Parts: sequence; structure tokens; C-alpha cells
Amino acid sequence: MVELRYVRHRYDRGARVVLDFEQFALPKNGVVALVGHNGSGKSTLLRLLALLETPTEGFVLWNGNRVPPRELRALRRRVTLVEQRPVLFRGTVRENLEYGLRVRDISHSAANGIIGDVVERLGLGPLLHRRRHELSDGELQRVAVARALALRTDVLLLDEPASSADRAAAGALYRALAAERAERPFAACIASHQLEDAYRWADDIRALAEGRLSPVTPENLFRVELPPGEGVKQVRIGSVDFAVMTDRVGPVVLAIPPTDIFVSREPLASSARNVLRGRVIGFSIELRGAGVQVRAEVGGVELIATITAEAARDLALGPGTPVVFSFKASAVRVF
Amino acid sequence: MEFLAEGLRRAWALLLGGDAEVYGIALLTLKVAVVATIVSCVLGLPLGYFLATRRFWGRRAALTVVNTALAFPTVVVGLLLYGMLSRRGPLGGIGWLYTWQAIVVGDVLLALPIAAALSAAAIQGVDPRIRRTAETLGAGRWLTAWTVTREARFALAAVITAAFGQVVAEIGTAMIVGGNIRGSTRTLTTAVALYTSQGDFGMALALGLILVVLALLVNIALQVLQGRGGG
Repeated sequence: MVELRYVRHRYDRGARVVLDFEQFALPKNGVVALVGHNGSGKSTLLRLLALLETPTEGFVLWNGNRVPPRELRALRRRVTLVEQRPVLFRGTVRENLEYGLRVRDISHSAANGIIGDVVERLGLGPLLHRRRHELSDGELQRVAVARALALRTDVLLLDEPASSADRAAAGALYRALAAERAERPFAACIASHQLEDAYRWADDIRALAEGRLSPVTPENLFRVELPPGEGVKQVRIGSVDFAVMTDRVGPVVLAIPPTDIFVSREPLASSARNVLRGRVIGFSIELRGAGVQVRAEVGGVELIATITAEAARDLALGPGTPVVFSFKASAVRVF
Repeated sequence: MEFLAEGLRRAWALLLGGDAEVYGIALLTLKVAVVATIVSCVLGLPLGYFLATRRFWGRRAALTVVNTALAFPTVVVGLLLYGMLSRRGPLGGIGWLYTWQAIVVGDVLLALPIAAALSAAAIQGVDPRIRRTAETLGAGRWLTAWTVTREARFALAAVITAAFGQVVAEIGTAMIVGGNIRGSTRTLTTAVALYTSQGDFGMALALGLILVVLALLVNIALQVLQGRGGG
């Protein structure tokens, strides 16, 4: 649908490159989750995709065709973006929902129908006549998403759409998106630091770090089929059985946060239900030298653990060193 | 002290008595002030928006010029305008010297920097996300500008009040390019100066009171407008 190529983007002709990648594409009917730390460039990337800014270097493709800068404005109405901390205009929630529809000259009766749909999907009925100062942050965010959904654009971009919502409200929001997708095809990109949201609702996950797209999605992810039953389940990955505490059944994604893994040279007497022997296959330094990512091969599976540089020195870890990775069954997250 | 009380009594009598000259002067002042305020705001508010929202070469210099013009002495503006409108001046052909239109032009030159500088500050005070949000919802340039302007409407109402306050109380240019001609270009401020110099303190005070009441009424009207509609 919309694609960015050979992008090197700077702000205000500054020297610092805030985005630097070869390609980023949003498929016609797919949801891409964009994960990354604060300041990694997620919001800037969304602004480029929203055609609100043109990349300092590089170009934009729309349906495979290169878009000249002068035509970007015309395409802008086919994209919409909900910012991380959205604002509402002066007026009621209803007037806010009508704003983009009026811009598009949609008739009053058609607009009423569209607004009725999004209001129902996002449970905004009681808020319709409220003004912005009468809304909580979570409610304001929901209204902003509804305002964007009402436009039925070809591309929908959401920057941390559920950051102020509780889990139930976030679930309602993503279900509304799923319902919209079931009705019509559109491309969506959701920047989120909630990995759970990314895994559950996106078709594809892209990681952004210091303006560069990482080909590797976050670590220690496994797609598995969970057997029926409750409590602690054994799941075979490679030649290793993982203990997972969950009530979920069927196809899921398991994530083991690298910071929840204990690294030792010998098995530790602990409550950890997963104690896996393996060998170190590599290291990478992170957090400006304060942390080390230890990659180990454990029964045919590659696992990554994050430890302090000091701990890595104490354990005298090196390539090929025998190592034990331990983590609790409850540390394994299920999406 | 007695002359003050006498002056107030005479002012009261003139106001209640419906003195034709007093009301003629007041009406002319109101006409000049309203026209000059409208013209200066119609030109100054968009200029302020432009200065606040666009990044262009020389923007800082333009802002400096506008801010400097805020403190431009009114008599100097009057003098320059006199030079332009006098028979030998470049605009002498239009024959506006010593007409109410000349006073309007002088007032616009004084109020325009106020409208532009204060509205630029008002627009800069609007949350930048408002403009970005309007753009993300598909608004074009004009609707985006209107949306941002609506958010700043309280501050912009204060800008209009300030512009009106400037033109209604202005005397320097009105005296020089208007000429203070009885029944033609005599405004409240020039008349107050004249009657004071002639020793007619009651008349001067009556006109001064009208000037204050006019300013008060316009401010009340703007406050009522501001009060309508919440956030």
C-alpha cells in the first residue's frame, strides 16, 4: 500500500540522522506492529507514512508507484494518524468525530451512520456530548482512535493507541480494529511498547532501534500449540520441554523476556521450573556497555539472556562455555 | 477642586441633553475606530498566523520589525502619512488629507503591528498537536488555519480589544492627518485636546467620559463573546 525506500531522515537540516533504512512497507490488508524504545524513531516513521513529512533523503511509494512530493498532499486524505498523546479540538466528542467526515464532504446522514458504528464499537455512547476537559486520558485516546477509524482511510497509523487505557479498554480498542478489518481491507501500523499487543494483533512485527529497522524481532519468541488443561503445561520446543504456566489452549506465541533468565555455570537450587543446559554461542553489548546479551544454544533452540557486564565477567563466559539458563514457568509470557 | 466638580456637572448635562456636537464627535470616533480595527485585524491576524506557523528565510527579522513597530511613535506615523497624503506627496492625488479616511489609514498603520504581533504570540501559544491533528484528519491549509484559530479565540479576542484600544485612544495621527476639523474630522481625543486648551473643561470631560464608556462597552461585548461556548 504505502512504502518508504532508501530513507535517511534528519530534522531541521541537523546532522543527526533520525531514520536510516532501505525499506519499510505496509501491506494492503495487514497490521504491522512497530516496536522500539522511546526515541527510537517510531513516531517520526509514522509521520513519514502519514505523508505529513517528506523524507530528507529517499522516497515514498503508493501502490508500488513513486509519489512526487507535490502529490503527497492529495494522498494525505487516504491516510490518518493517531498521535501518541492525541488532542481533541474544542467542542464535543461528537463534533470531533464529525471533523474528518466534514472535511471529506460526507453527507450528514452518512456521517451519522458512520459515527454510530464507531461509537458502538468503542463504547463511546455516554461520552458523545462531553467536552475534552471532561474526559480521562484513556477516554480521550479512545475518542481519538474512533475519530480516525470513522474516516475509513486506506492506511491507519496508531502511535501507542492504548498507552493510557486499562487492559479492558485496550482489548476493546484492538477488537474494534479487528472488527473493522473484517469489514474492509486496510493497512495499519501500530507503534507500541506493549509487546503483548503487538504479538496478539499484528501480522508482522518490526523493531526500530536508533532509527534503524532491525530484521530481528524481539528475542525468545516461539509459536507453539498449547495442549488442553490448566496450570503448568509442558511444551516441547526443539528437543527441550518448556514449563509454561497458563490456561490458554491452542496456537499461541510464547515469549521469554531475556531479563527474566538467570545465567549460571551450574544448575541452581531455586524455584525455577525451567533449568536448561547449553553452550554460549555469542555475545552482544548493550546499554552502553553496562549490559551483555548472552546467546546460548539449548537443545537445538537459541535463547538470549540479558545480564550485567559485571556478571558476565564473574562467570568468565566465552564462546563455547557450558552454561545453564533458568527461568520460572510463570516468566514465560503467552500471547 | 471646584472646577473639577463644575466640569463633571457640565459633562453630565451635555450627555443627558443630547448635544448634537458631542454625539457627532462620538459617532465619528466610533466609525473610525471600528473601520480601522476591522481593517487592521483582517490584515494583521492572517499575518500573525503566517509568522507563527511558517518557517521561512527572514522570519526572525520580520518578527523583529513587527515587534519594533509596536512602539512606533504615533506622531511620527502621522507625520510620514501626512507627507504621503499631502498635495505634493506620492498619494496626494487621492485627496484624503484631512478626511476621516486619512485617520483610518493612520490608525491602521498603528494597530496593524499590534494585531500581527499579538496574534502571532496567540497562535504560537496553541498546542502544536492541534495543527498536526487537523492535518492528519485531512484538513487542507485553510481549514487547518481555521481550526488553530478557533483554539486561540480567547487570546485573539484580546488582540482585537487591544487593537481597538489603540485606535480609539489615538491622538497623534488623528490630529496631523485629520486636522481636527469641526463636523468633519474631529474625534473624541482631538476634541478633548482642543477643548482643554480652550479652557472648556466641562466639554473636554464629557467627551473623555464618552471615550471611556465606548472602550468599556466594546470590552464588555468582547467578553460576552468569549464567554459563549466552553472548551
